[in-house]
Amino acid sequence: MSEEDAIERDCLIYRSYIALGSYQLVIHEIDSSAATPLQAVKLLALYLLSADNKETVISSIREWLSDAAIGNNLILRLIAGIIFMHEQDYNEVLKYTNAGGTMELNALNVQVFLKMHRSDYAEKQLRVMQQIDEDHTLTQLATAWLNLAVGGSKIQEAYLIFQDFSEKYQMTSLILNGKAVCCMHMGNFDEAESFLLEALNKDAKDPETLANLVVCCLHLGKPSSRFLSQLKLSHPEHMLVKRVSAAEESFDRAVQTV
Amino acid sequence: MLTKFETKSNRVKGLSFHSKRPWILASLHSGVIQLWDYRMGTLIDRFEEHDGPVRGVNFHKSQPLFVSGGDDYKIKVWNYKLHRCLFTLLGHLDYIRTVQFHHESPWIVSASDDQTIRIWNWQSRTCISVLTGHNHYVMCALFHPKEDLVVSASLDQTVRVWDIGVLRKKSVSPADDILRLGQMNTDFFGGVDAVVKYVLEGHDRGVNWASFHPTLPLIVSGADDRQIKIWRMNDSKAWEVDTLRGHMNNVSSVLFHSRQDIIVSNSEDKSIRVWDATKRTALQTFRREHDRFWILCCHPEMNLLAAGHDSGMIVFKLERERPAFSVSNNSLYYVKDRFLQLYEYSTQKDTQIIPIRRPGSATLNQGPKTLSYSPTENAVLICSDVDGGSYELYIIPKDSFNKGDTVHEAKRGVGGSAVFVARNRFAVLEKSTNQVLVKNLKNEIVKKSALPIVTDAIFYAGTGNLLCKAEDRVIIFDLQQRMILGDLQASFVRYVVWSSDMETVALLSKHSIIIADKRLVHRCTLHETIRVKSGSWDDNGVFIYTTLTHIKYCLPNGDCGIIKTVDVPVYITKISGNNIFCLDRDGKNRSIVIDATEYLFKLSLLKKRYDHVMSMIRNSELCGQAMIAYLQQKGFPEVALHFVKDERTRFNLALESGNIQIAVASAKEIDEKDHWYKLGVEALRQGNSGIVEYAYQRTKNFERLSFLYLITGNLDKLSKMMKIAEVKNDVMGQFHNALYLGDVKERVKILENAGHLPLAYVTAKTHGLNDIAEGLADKLERNVPVLPSGRSHSLLIPPTPVLCGGDWPLLRVMKGIFEGGLDSVGRDAPEEYEDAADADWGEDLDIVDVENIQNGDVSMVSENDEAHEENEEGGWDLEDLELPVDVETPRATTARSSVFVAPTPGMPVSQIWVQKSSLAGEHAAAGNFDTAMRLLNRQLGIKNFKPLKSFFLDLHTGSHTHLPTFPSSPIISLAIERGWSESASPNVRNPPALVFSFSQLEDKLKAGYKATTAGKFTEALRVFMSILHTIPLIVVETRREVDEVKELVIIVKEYVLGLQMELKRREVKDDPVRQLELAAYFTHCNLQLPHLRLALVNAMSLCFKAGNLITASNFARRLLEANPAEAHAQKARSVIQAAERNMRDAIQLNYDFRNPFVVCGATYVSIYRGQKDVLCPYCGSHFVVSQEGEICAVCNLSVVGSDASGLLCSPAQIR
Repeated sequence: MSEEDAIERDCLIYRSYIALGSYQLVIHEIDSSAATPLQAVKLLALYLLSADNKETVISSIREWLSDAAIGNNLILRLIAGIIFMHEQDYNEVLKYTNAGGTMELNALNVQVFLKMHRSDYAEKQLRVMQQIDEDHTLTQLATAWLNLAVGGSKIQEAYLIFQDFSEKYQMTSLILNGKAVCCMHMGNFDEAESFLLEALNKDAKDPETLANLVVCCLHLGKPSSRFLSQLKLSHPEHMLVKRVSAAEESFDRAVQTV
Repeated sequence: MLTKFETKSNRVKGLSFHSKRPWILASLHSGVIQLWDYRMGTLIDRFEEHDGPVRGVNFHKSQPLFVSGGDDYKIKVWNYKLHRCLFTLLGHLDYIRTVQFHHESPWIVSASDDQTIRIWNWQSRTCISVLTGHNHYVMCALFHPKEDLVVSASLDQTVRVWDIGVLRKKSVSPADDILRLGQMNTDFFGGVDAVVKYVLEGHDRGVNWASFHPTLPLIVSGADDRQIKIWRMNDSKAWEVDTLRGHMNNVSSVLFHSRQDIIVSNSEDKSIRVWDATKRTALQTFRREHDRFWILCCHPEMNLLAAGHDSGMIVFKLERERPAFSVSNNSLYYVKDRFLQLYEYSTQKDTQIIPIRRPGSATLNQGPKTLSYSPTENAVLICSDVDGGSYELYIIPKDSFNKGDTVHEAKRGVGGSAVFVARNRFAVLEKSTNQVLVKNLKNEIVKKSALPIVTDAIFYAGTGNLLCKAEDRVIIFDLQQRMILGDLQASFVRYVVWSSDMETVALLSKHSIIIADKRLVHRCTLHETIRVKSGSWDDNGVFIYTTLTHIKYCLPNGDCGIIKTVDVPVYITKISGNNIFCLDRDGKNRSIVIDATEYLFKLSLLKKRYDHVMSMIRNSELCGQAMIAYLQQKGFPEVALHFVKDERTRFNLALESGNIQIAVASAKEIDEKDHWYKLGVEALRQGNSGIVEYAYQRTKNFERLSFLYLITGNLDKLSKMMKIAEVKNDVMGQFHNALYLGDVKERVKILENAGHLPLAYVTAKTHGLNDIAEGLADKLERNVPVLPSGRSHSLLIPPTPVLCGGDWPLLRVMKGIFEGGLDSVGRDAPEEYEDAADADWGEDLDIVDVENIQNGDVSMVSENDEAHEENEEGGWDLEDLELPVDVETPRATTARSSVFVAPTPGMPVSQIWVQKSSLAGEHAAAGNFDTAMRLLNRQLGIKNFKPLKSFFLDLHTGSHTHLPTFPSSPIISLAIERGWSESASPNVRNPPALVFSFSQLEDKLKAGYKATTAGKFTEALRVFMSILHTIPLIVVETRREVDEVKELVIIVKEYVLGLQMELKRREVKDDPVRQLELAAYFTHCNLQLPHLRLALVNAMSLCFKAGNLITASNFARRLLEANPAEAHAQKARSVIQAAERNMRDAIQLNYDFRNPFVVCGATYVSIYRGQKDVLCPYCGSHFVVSQEGEICAVCNLSVVGSDASGLLCSPAQIR
C-alpha cells in the first residue's frame, strides 16, 4: 500500500471513530508528526470534543487553508467544510468545497446547498456527481437528500433509494432514519414509527432517531416527552433541543408583545 | 434445433412415435427394429425377425401394436407388450417401403416396389384392396388423418391421391373381406374399391415422399429433383401451388408440422430444412457432417420431431416451449404469444397487460427466453435470441393496462442476457468483451464492468449483485465493489431460483440441482436422470421442482423425493401452502394441489421440531416401511418407534435408539433367546445391570450371570450361582464361582470331588490349609506335587466394585440434540460472511478522477447563469429577485477559491408557510409565534396564551424531520408538508402537516365522554379543556369540517361549563341552596343523553332529599323523557308520585325551569332570556355583564366581550 493510500485509509478510520464519538482516541492517536490530512481529522475531533476548542481550531484551519502548500489538500478542505458547516457559515464552507474534487466534497456541497435552501444548486451539484458515478453510494444518498428536500413525488424516490440501501447493506440507523423520514413526509407516521423503534433498538442513544421519534410521536398523538428528555440529556446540542428551547423563548417573548 | 435424444446405429429407415408414452420405434437397414425411450434415453426392446432392411414401421394409436414392412416382402404386426410378432401379412411382391395403421378402421396401408399400394385388414389379417396405377416403385403411401383418402408417391414422378370411401362402406364386417377376396382378383385391373382421385404431376424425377396437411386440403411432396412441391386440392381437382427449392440432393421425406405453420423436410444432402408454409421461404437449415437423412417423423401430440439418418436418429424440437416468466410478490408476469400477461395468485386472475413485439418469423426459436421485472418501476425486460441475443425494455403504464393492439414502444439493445439488478438499473451481458453494462431505464449506459470470468449468462443475485454463469462455475459478482462474493463449481447451470428471503439459491442444470447459500457456499447437490425443468422455494425452505415427469421436493439437507407425477411438463412459478402454481407449455396458468405431509414431516425432523413431528405422527397416515427406513437411516430410530407395531422391528428400533424399556417390553413379547441376548448386550453397554441380569436369567446364561455378579460385587447371588452350578452338576461353573468368591475351601472341595487331587492339594497347600492338605496328601499316598519355593503367594480376592448394583447414571442426551445443538452450528456460518462483507465496505468512496473534477467545476460554474434564469421561472422562489451581482463575472478563467461566490441562501419552507397562510396553526408550526398569536387575537380575541404554550411548542417541534446526512456534519431538517400524494410535483410547497388533527380531537372527545360517564370529572374536564385549547390551532381542509370544528367548540364548551359547575358544586357542600342550583344548572348544559340522565338523576335525588319536590318532580319528568334505565325510571316515577302528594319546595332556588336561561360561565348564575349578557368570542359562553374584559372562565383563553372575526381553521374559509 502506498503512503498516500495508507494516509487515506487512516483518515477513514479516524473519521469513523469521530463518527462514533471517540474524539479523545483520535486526538491521542494522531501525533504532531502525522500528515496534513490526519492533522485535519484531528482538528475535527478537537472541534467536536468541546466548544472551548472552537476558536483555536478555526484559526488553525484558516491558517492551514491559506498555506499554499497544503491548502489544496482534499481532506483538509473537506474537514474545513464540515467545521464551517457546524459554524453555519455556509459561504465559508463553499469557499473551500465548491470546486469539488472527491465525491465526498461534492456530497458535502449538496448538503450545504440544501441547508441554504437552494435545491437548484444542489441539483446541479448532484448532476456533477451523477456524471462521475451515478450508482455511487454517495450519489444515491445525495439524491435522496435532494429528493426529500424538494418533496412531492420525489419523496417516493428517496424512499426507494433508502429501500435499496436496506437491501444492499445492513440496516443502519442512517438507513432506518432515512426511511422513517420519507415515511413521515408521505404522511405515513405509523410505518415511520416502526422504523424508528427498530433504529432505537440498534442504538438507543442515536440523536437523530430520538429526534425523529419525538416528531413522529407528536404526529401520532403519542407521548413524546420521554424521547425528548433522553435527547436533552444525551445530546444537549442537538438541533431539535435547540429548536425547542428557542421556541420556548420566542413564545415567552411573543406573549410579552401581544 | 433442440436435440432431445440421439442414437447411434445402423441406417435408420423408418420411425414412429408412440402417441402417449415417450417411446419411438426405429427400423434399421440391418433388419432390426429398436424401441427407445427417448426421455430416459434407454433402449427398451429389439425386434429382429425381418430379413433385410426394414423400411416402414408404425405404432398403433391405441392398441399395444405396431406394424413393420421390410425388404423380405413381409408386413409384420407386433405386440410390444408380448415382445413378439403376432402375424405376418404376405402379398407384396417386392420391397415394402412404408406401412401405416389407419387412425380408426382396422386397416394398414402399405406401399411397395411392386408398384402397388395395398390396404389390409389386420383383424381379419387379409388384404382388402390393392391400389394399382403407379408404374414404378411406390415410395410412400399414407392415410389422410381424417378423410377417406390415401396419398402416394412413386418413382414414376407422380403423386396420387386415392379415394377409399367405397372401401369403408363395403367392409363392414370381416366376413365381407373374405368374401371379397375372391372378387379382388377380378377387380385387379380397374377395381372399384379405391379409385385414383387425382394424379399430381410436376416433379421431374421420382417422388420419394408425399403427405397431407393435418387440417387443410394441402399436400406436400419431395422428390429426387431436389424440390419440394405444395399441392392444393378441392372436391374436383388438385393443382400445384408452389415449389420449395434449396435441397442439394434427393429429398427423402417432407411433412407439415402439426402445431406450427411450417414444413420440415430432410434430404440425402445431409440437411434438415424448415420452411415457412405460408410465405414459402426457407427458415432454417440443420446440417450433419456425414449422414444422409432418410426419414422424418412428427409426434402426433407433442411438439417433437424425429429424423433417421445414415448412422442413427435424432429426436428434436424446433422451438423452446418454456414460457418466459418472472414472479413478483403476489403476481406472475409472463409472455404468451405476443402479449405480456399478468397473473395474480390471490385472485387467480389473468390479464393481458401490453402487447410486445411479435417474435420474428424469419428464423425459429427467437421468442422471449427470459423475463425480468422491476416492481417499483413497473418495467419489464424481455430477452430473446434475436440478433444473437438481445433484450427489450418495456415500461408498463401505471394507470390503465393498455389492451389495445398497438405495440408498445420498447427500448432495445443487444446483449447475451439482461436482468434487473436494482429497481431502476439493469445489467446487460456483452459477451464479445465479457463486460457487464449497467443501464438505466432510459437504456443509457451508466457503468461498465469487466467480468472476472468468461460468462455466458447473468442472473439476478440481490440488489447490485449478479450471478454470472460460466461453463463450469458460477460466481456472485458485486457490481459496485467489483469483487467476487461467492464462487461455486457448477457446470451448465440453466436456471437460477432464489428463495424469497434471498438466503438460498437453487441452480438448475439439465440433470442436476445444486443448492447453495447466498454466498454460493455449497449445501447439497441432487442428480436427476430425467431433465429438470423448473423449481421454486416454499415458505419452509423446501425446494420444490419439476422434472419432465414429476413434481419433487428437496429438503435443505439434500433429501429428495417424489410428490406426484405430471402428465405434461409444467414450470413451477410459485408455491403457496399446498398449492403449486405453474405454467404449462401453452402458457396457461395451473394450480396443482399437492400432499405436503411427507416432506413437511421430514423437514420437521430435520429441523428437530419434534412437537410437529409428534403431532404429524398422531394426526396423519404416515406409516410405511419407507418412512421407517428413512427414519432409521437418518438416525431417528426413536421417532420410528412411534410408528411401528411389529414387535421385532420395534425391538430393533428400541435397541438402536437405546430405549431399554421398550426393548424389554418387546423382548418379553417375542421371548426368543437371540433377542434376550441382544437386549443383554445393549443393557450392559448402558450399564443397566438389572436388565442385564434379567436378560441373562432369561437366556440361562449362567457364566455371564456369574461374571456380572462378580463385577457388580453381588456376592450373595454369586454364592447362589455356585449352588445352582452344584445342583446342575456344572463343575467348571462351580469352580469359577468359587474362584470369584475367593472361597479356597470350596475350590479345594470341588477339585477334590472332581478327582483333581493334585490340584486340590496344591490349592490347599498354597493357601495354607494344611489340615486339608494333609488329608489330601494321604489320599494321594504322599505322592504330592512339589510347590515351587521362594515365591510368596497371596489369595486373589475379587476387588470391591466401584459401583455395586444399581444402574449406571445415563446422560439424557436425546433432548439436548433435539433442542438446538445442530441449529446453532448452521447459524454461525452466514454471520461470518456478513462481517466480512462489512469490513470491505466503504472502500469504494475514493474515486478520484482528476478530469472529472475539472470538468465538473467548469460546467458547474458556467451553469450558474442558467440556474438563476430557471429560478425566475420556478415560481415559488419569491425572494430570488436580488440576484447575486457576482454571477455576471466570468469565473471559469480565474482561480477557484478566491472568486467563487456562494449563492444567497434560499427561503426556508417554514417562511413560505408563513407567507402563504393566515391560519394560526400553520404560523405556529413555522415557529412564528408572534404572528400566530396576533392572528388568534384577531380571530378569537385570545389574550391568555399561557395555556397554549405546549400546543405551540408541539406544533413547532413536529413540523420538521431530521435527516442524518454527511458523517460528523450537522443534520438537515426538513419540513413536513400536508397532503402528500404520489403525483405531487416536487418543489411545490404545501402547508405544514400539523401534529394536531381533527380526528385526534374526535378521539379525545370520546375519551372525555368516557371519563364523564365514569364520573372522573377532573379528568374529563382536563380532556375537554385540551380539546378547547387545541381547536384554535387546528387546520382542516373542507368547509364541512370547519362546521364540524365549530360544532365541536360548542359541544366541548357545554361540557366544560357543566363539569366546572359540577366540581364547584362539590366544593360548596355547606351551601345546600347553591348545591341545588348548580346541580339544576348542570342539567341544562347540552350534554349527551346518558350524561344528561346522570345529571338529572343526580339533581332529582338532591332536590328530593332537600325537600324541593316540585323541582325534583320536574327533573323526574325530564328523566323519564330521556329514556332512562328501569331502576332510574322507577325512582323517577316514585318521585313524581311523592311530589304530587306534596307539591312544595322547601328551599327557594334561583332556578326557574319554565323560563329559558343560560348560565354564566364565571359566576354560574342563570341569565334568563331578556337579561343582558356578554359572550366569549371563542367558545361562545355567556357571561354576566360584569365579566366583560375578563379572561373567559370556560376556555381560559379569550377576553370576554372582545371583538373577534371568528374561528379561521381552514384554507377553504380564505379562498
